[in-house]
Amino acid sequence: MASRPYLGLLLMIASGCGQSSEPPPSDAATAQPDPAGVLTIGSVSLNPTREYEVVRPFADFLAANLHHVGIGGGRVVVAGSLSQMVEELREGRVDLFMDSPFPAVFVWQRTDVEPILRRWKRGSDEYRSVVFTRVDSGIESVVNLGGRRIAFGEPFSTSGFLMPKAALASAGLGLVNDEDPAASIPGNRVGYVFSNDAENTMFWVLKQKVAAGAVNADYFEALAGQRIDELRILLTTEAVPRNVVCVRSSLGPKVVQAIEDQLLQMHLNEEGRASLERFEETAKFDRFPRGADQDLAKIVMLLPHVQEDLGQ
Amino acid sequence: MRLGLKGRLVAFVSAIIIAFGVVLTALSVRAQSERLRHELEDRGKLLTTVIAANTADPLAMLDVRELRNMISEARDQENVLDTVAFDEKGRVLTDGTAVNPRRHMLISEAAFRHASGSDALLVEFDGDTMTVTKPVHLGGKVLGGIRLRYSMAGLAEDQASLARRAAKVGAIFALIGVLAAALLAEAITRPLKEVIQATRALSEGKPVPRLAVRTADEIGELAGAFNEMTRKLRDTTVSRDYLDRVLETIGECLVVTGPDGTITRVNSAVCTLSGVGEDELLGQNCRDLFRAPQGHVSILDALAPDGSAQGLETVLLARGGEAVPVMISVGAMEENVGRARSYVIVAADIGERLRHEQQKDEFVTMVHHEVRAPLTAVRGAIGLLDGGVVGELGERGQELVKIALRNSERMGRLVNDILASRKLDSGRMDFRFEKVEMMPLIEQAIDSTSAYATSHEVRFELEEGVPGAMVRVDPDRMIQVLTNVLSNAVRFSPIDNVVKVEASRRDQILRIAVSDSGPGIPEDFRDQVFEAFARAEHEDWRHRSGSGLGMSISKSIIEELGGTITFETEVGIGTTFLIDIPESV
Repeated sequence: MASRPYLGLLLMIASGCGQSSEPPPSDAATAQPDPAGVLTIGSVSLNPTREYEVVRPFADFLAANLHHVGIGGGRVVVAGSLSQMVEELREGRVDLFMDSPFPAVFVWQRTDVEPILRRWKRGSDEYRSVVFTRVDSGIESVVNLGGRRIAFGEPFSTSGFLMPKAALASAGLGLVNDEDPAASIPGNRVGYVFSNDAENTMFWVLKQKVAAGAVNADYFEALAGQRIDELRILLTTEAVPRNVVCVRSSLGPKVVQAIEDQLLQMHLNEEGRASLERFEETAKFDRFPRGADQDLAKIVMLLPHVQEDLGQ
Repeated sequence: MRLGLKGRLVAFVSAIIIAFGVVLTALSVRAQSERLRHELEDRGKLLTTVIAANTADPLAMLDVRELRNMISEARDQENVLDTVAFDEKGRVLTDGTAVNPRRHMLISEAAFRHASGSDALLVEFDGDTMTVTKPVHLGGKVLGGIRLRYSMAGLAEDQASLARRAAKVGAIFALIGVLAAALLAEAITRPLKEVIQATRALSEGKPVPRLAVRTADEIGELAGAFNEMTRKLRDTTVSRDYLDRVLETIGECLVVTGPDGTITRVNSAVCTLSGVGEDELLGQNCRDLFRAPQGHVSILDALAPDGSAQGLETVLLARGGEAVPVMISVGAMEENVGRARSYVIVAADIGERLRHEQQKDEFVTMVHHEVRAPLTAVRGAIGLLDGGVVGELGERGQELVKIALRNSERMGRLVNDILASRKLDSGRMDFRFEKVEMMPLIEQAIDSTSAYATSHEVRFELEEGVPGAMVRVDPDRMIQVLTNVLSNAVRFSPIDNVVKVEASRRDQILRIAVSDSGPGIPEDFRDQVFEAFARAEHEDWRHRSGSGLGMSISKSIIEELGGTITFETEVGIGTTFLIDIPESV
């Protein structure tokens, strides 16, 4: 998710009948045949309208299946930055938050949310990034990137930016954002620019606009195509969960469990699969194979290298 | 089926119009198709050019994401099948899709070569597809380009639609053309039909309407010529009805036969005279109606070589065996060269005339026997008295005898003239021709008339002569004519005057001129001078006229002798009778 300092936009749109943001329903409310409780899903995006249109049906579907725990409606809150989302969660105005591992861990570490499930997005449960260069670039290792320029994708992309940047940084390279192609990069630093598109990154490397690039490893071969032989992979990051579901702990264990159960079952029925498909091609939700703490440990370790990028 | 003029005109003009329409429609469709093709091509080229212009910056910045968005939008354009952006090496950067399966693939060698060396459009056609390649250059550097595949399939549909519309319009125009042709044909043939109807009416003898001359073209000229022809026909010919009325009006019998004598037409006079109906006569042969002359089977056998005959007397064989004397004239008609003749026989009933002739003969016989013989006896007796045979008469007695003698002689001349005239009329006068000298005949006639001239105190002067000139005449009849002319001149000459007699020759014609100084012949009588019993009513003439037969007899005789008799006269001056007779060499 993008986080821009100048965007403090918070969009709160109720998908119910004009109900405002209310505290989460209590256990007693589950006895209500027509519960008044509202489940609020939070999301970070620079395109709140589109984001709302994507998330709202999912919120409605989920709420409709949580009547037994007092949830009668769904609501979507779109924040313009991750720090604003942290604020929303802290204030209890958001109950459920789903994002890439770095934002999720960032929020996890600052609020009372708990990562409960993985979200399979676009067919994959986890992903990794590759850092690559031209075979004829003379760069044999990431160490050789010093004084050179690398292209990342979008500033809020985990696979295109956060993860490779964190990996490079953890390898001891100092990275500096340098959008001026004519400027010289100090020999002990790696300058980086945003290509804003994985395809751009590939072409920029091939055409030697930059010395190296980083893209989602799943797309690398497709992007390289028949020119894959002209490329050399310098680094492949460890696999991280594709997407993480965090729930506010103060909802209470019964509601949290009900949400978890509902999410885990959605892909098992047709109506649920349809709703998942509309929700950014989500295949299913599942539990962390080794537990959230272990599966997200690497992210926790790398997060300091990109914390500034997330928290701005 | 045989088409009439109108049908042929309609077919011909329609064929021309339809053929013209087909050619025009085909040309129009072709032109429209070309125009559509060019428009479609131009749209494709323009679209490619615009996209290329917009992609210059992303190409320069190598912003494939932006290029992808642009190409994606281009793919959504109408008729665009495919679009790719390629780099300076001819490798595909993006085809506008997220998957972008042709990424890095080379475009065609020809397109790449073109893009490398030119800034112009490269247009390639493959079936219904047009591929346009537009290189993108920046400051002389090749950035790459846009290659757009454009569907021309819509063109075929548009062309088919155009052809259908053109066919419909063509069909409408063809229909209009056929109608126009029909109207034109009607306009052309209607006057011709009127001419045909008028011609039929003309041939059937019906009233022929005057044709309207509506136009100044050949058709109008034809109508005008027809009107002129019918006008001239009316002026120069008679209708069958008119001719029938004429034929029925004339009293003579009219019979028309074919070349073999078969009767094809008769008038009512024939039926009346023969007592046989027209239906019965038609188809008969004319030899059954008219008796053939002696030695011939049919009257048609007795015709002249030209098929004519005049004054042929025969009899018409009427019903019951009655023979009606008729005088027939025959004329041959040959309507067209080479066609068989037909004959027109006109027969006049001469029964009445023959009866009159018989009565005249009976009268003449009576005069001859009952008047001339006694008169001769009377003259003889008076002559004896005048000669003193019965004794000397006193002066009064001699005077009376002279009167009796003069009147008896006058009566004798009258009787002789009547007998001579009758003989001439009936052709029974005998002529005994012989070659004689002319002058003695003149002198003899003068001598014979001298006593008569003396009695009128008139004398003759023979002023010129033709001595030795010979003529072949009956001398007695010649003398009779001369005597008659001389005595006539004496009778009209004043007392104590001279009758001049001149004989002359010109071109072997002898002319005897007898001139008096009488009152001249009145103008209103000059045409009757040679008619029998003609006598002028003029005061000077009544007491000078004779029997009124003399000049008539003279004319008949001189014509029988082969000559002519004429006169020149001037009232108050005198008259000269001229007798011309061929000289016999």
